[in-house]
Amino acid sequence: MVAVRCTFTAPAAAQTAAVTECENCHRGQSDARLSTPSRDFALTDVHRDRGFSCVNCHGGNANEPDKVKAKAPSTGFKGKPAGQMVIAVCAQCHSDGTLMRKFAPKQRIDQAAEYATSVHGHQLAKGDTKVATCVSCHGAHGVRLVGDAQSPVYVLNVATTCSKCHSDAERMKGYKLPDGTPLPTDQRAKYDTSVHHAAMVKRNDLSAPTCNDCHGNHGAAPPGVGAIANVCGTCHSAFATKFALSSHNQIFDRSCVECHSNHAIAKPSDAMLGTDKAALCVSCHSEGDNGHQAAGAMRGGIEKLKAAIAHSESVVAAAENAGMDMGGQMLALREAGNHLTLARTEMHAFDPKPVDAVLQEGLAITAKIDADGGAALAEVSYRRTGLAVSLGAILLVVVALRLKINSLKPPAA
Amino acid sequence: MTDQVFAWLDERLDLSGLRAFIAAKSVPRHRHSVWYYMGGITLFLVGVQVATGILLLLYYRPSAAEAYESVQFIVSQVEFGWLIRNLHSWSANLLILMAFVHLFSTFFLRAYRKPRELTWITGVLLLFIMMGFGFSGYLLPWNELAFFATKVGTGIAGAVPVIGDFLVRFLRGGDEVTGATLTRFYGIHVAILPAITTVLLGLHLLLIQRQGMSVPPSVEKREKAGEKIPQEPFFPNYVLHDVMWWYVALAVLAALALFLPWELGKKADAFAPVPAGIRPEWYFLAMFQTLKLIPSHIGPFEGEVLGVMAFTVAAVLLLLVPFLDRGAARGQSSRIFTVAGVLAAIYLIVFTIYGYFAA
Repeated sequence: MVAVRCTFTAPAAAQTAAVTECENCHRGQSDARLSTPSRDFALTDVHRDRGFSCVNCHGGNANEPDKVKAKAPSTGFKGKPAGQMVIAVCAQCHSDGTLMRKFAPKQRIDQAAEYATSVHGHQLAKGDTKVATCVSCHGAHGVRLVGDAQSPVYVLNVATTCSKCHSDAERMKGYKLPDGTPLPTDQRAKYDTSVHHAAMVKRNDLSAPTCNDCHGNHGAAPPGVGAIANVCGTCHSAFATKFALSSHNQIFDRSCVECHSNHAIAKPSDAMLGTDKAALCVSCHSEGDNGHQAAGAMRGGIEKLKAAIAHSESVVAAAENAGMDMGGQMLALREAGNHLTLARTEMHAFDPKPVDAVLQEGLAITAKIDADGGAALAEVSYRRTGLAVSLGAILLVVVALRLKINSLKPPAA
Repeated sequence: MTDQVFAWLDERLDLSGLRAFIAAKSVPRHRHSVWYYMGGITLFLVGVQVATGILLLLYYRPSAAEAYESVQFIVSQVEFGWLIRNLHSWSANLLILMAFVHLFSTFFLRAYRKPRELTWITGVLLLFIMMGFGFSGYLLPWNELAFFATKVGTGIAGAVPVIGDFLVRFLRGGDEVTGATLTRFYGIHVAILPAITTVLLGLHLLLIQRQGMSVPPSVEKREKAGEKIPQEPFFPNYVLHDVMWWYVALAVLAALALFLPWELGKKADAFAPVPAGIRPEWYFLAMFQTLKLIPSHIGPFEGEVLGVMAFTVAAVLLLLVPFLDRGAARGQSSRIFTVAGVLAAIYLIVFTIYGYFAA
């Protein structure tokens, strides 16, 4: 680290670095291992764009064409950093608040400290050099900004980057979960089936979670047993709040994961709740116990509101098709739908009473819609009857006029 | 009592003279007489438009923020508001349809020939005015379809050479269709066009009363050969016929208003994506579809500019038909004008249907 500090001189301003003697020499190397880094760095690199060059990470003398002199010990030459040295090399700038302020004032400077708390950091500290360091995820040469769509840590690429190691069964061999079971390598395959992945990839919702949203990025680690609800609750706060009030909060070791799983989170459905075979509740509750009754009551209430909404929709559609303005009832239908969503949220407290209260409000709304829709359809019927009578009267006048015309003297020649 | 009132009015207004005029007035009766009633039906529908339009004015609010809601209020809250709005919308369409039928029947019966050139010109101008009523009225509910159709429709005016840009800004009250356009269209719809219509319609009816009904050249030839053409008294025979046709129109209108209620659609939103199926009212569809089919460039000229120019020339030619068809004034039927009329009718029908399904 002393050597690093001695040789490190950051550029004063953000400007592209000039081609150095290091690059001139390395580009001409026939060994791709030696030439590729120089070429990648020259093509695109956020550091190069800001005036940094090879010696800022590797040490040496960038102006010396003689490779022996350029790499002399007096130049602070370090060669290819590995292991802890990678963290130290990156941290020399990225943990330096004064320096980072000149280039990216909003960027955090605690990545190295966070890394030390991660499973990767812990393993590295133990001497495990297989674990990921900065360059494993961000790349070493040709580093791009996180917001660059071609960056390996761009939100859409994170799962691919993590799975390069975590889906590699050979590489993961020997690693274990806290309970001693082997670390699985199917996380990526499971995530690809999840509702989160679908939201991100199919709906282009970049706010949908990927690996680092639940595990952290620099401090990557599995959420602890007690922290799962907090992790899920960062997005699903209403559900987490209700769950925290529930009796299940005390019982479920893996909180949300118990019902929703972790990587392969499917789109939740009402079928998960209830007392039929497909429901998750019956895996613990049996007929007659309080939980069984509560599950049945909550599912029954939700199904009742769903049926009421479907009926109201058909009434509103029939009235609209008949030409009645049902704008207000359409809004009320959305409000009834909101109550259904609220009931589904409230259900996470696993207490039938508040769920029922919300459902009753929803049913009151649908009852009002049905009444309005019925009145609108009755009005349509009234109008049709009125028109039939009017048409009859008009046609009678037409016939009377025709008869009167026929009774008049024929046109005279 | 009635006699006393009549005598009082007669003393002041010389109603006896009017009564004598009506009593003496007769209308020729022949196998083409049925076409005489088309004008009467059109006039009746104008009356329906005026009556229902005045009622709608009581509740309609001409601003982007309130127009849609006020129409929604009319159709859902105002007693019989739904009926008035439906009658107004359907009557507008039937009116233009009947005006076209009246125009073509007048054309094919050569009723425009001397001395009725001015009746023809005022009639054609009234048709254009009615289409103007339709175009301006379409936007007033401020719904999505009307908003984007008006955007396209007013945009076409930009293709007029030299004054195109000015015309677009004049119609829109700015560069884009906004609340200013709505207010402008409202003013045009309820004040400017009705004022022009009153003058033109008054003149049109006055000319008809002064000159009497035209008879087709074939009937006129028989008349000149010495044959007596049957005449029926204007009152009560012709008036009763006319009233009977008005009742038929009223029955059609009432049935349409009830069984095919005019939709209000969604409120206009300038930032919403353009919805599918944007098209103008049916009476502009033939022109709209033609402009769509014209290539973007024909030689050194822009296709749309040429199309707009062609329609302008066609409108001028239509106005000048009495002066172009010199043979008709001498009682000769011109084959060229008959063929041109048939082709124009076929073009309008085919392109309207094509435009309806293509959109």
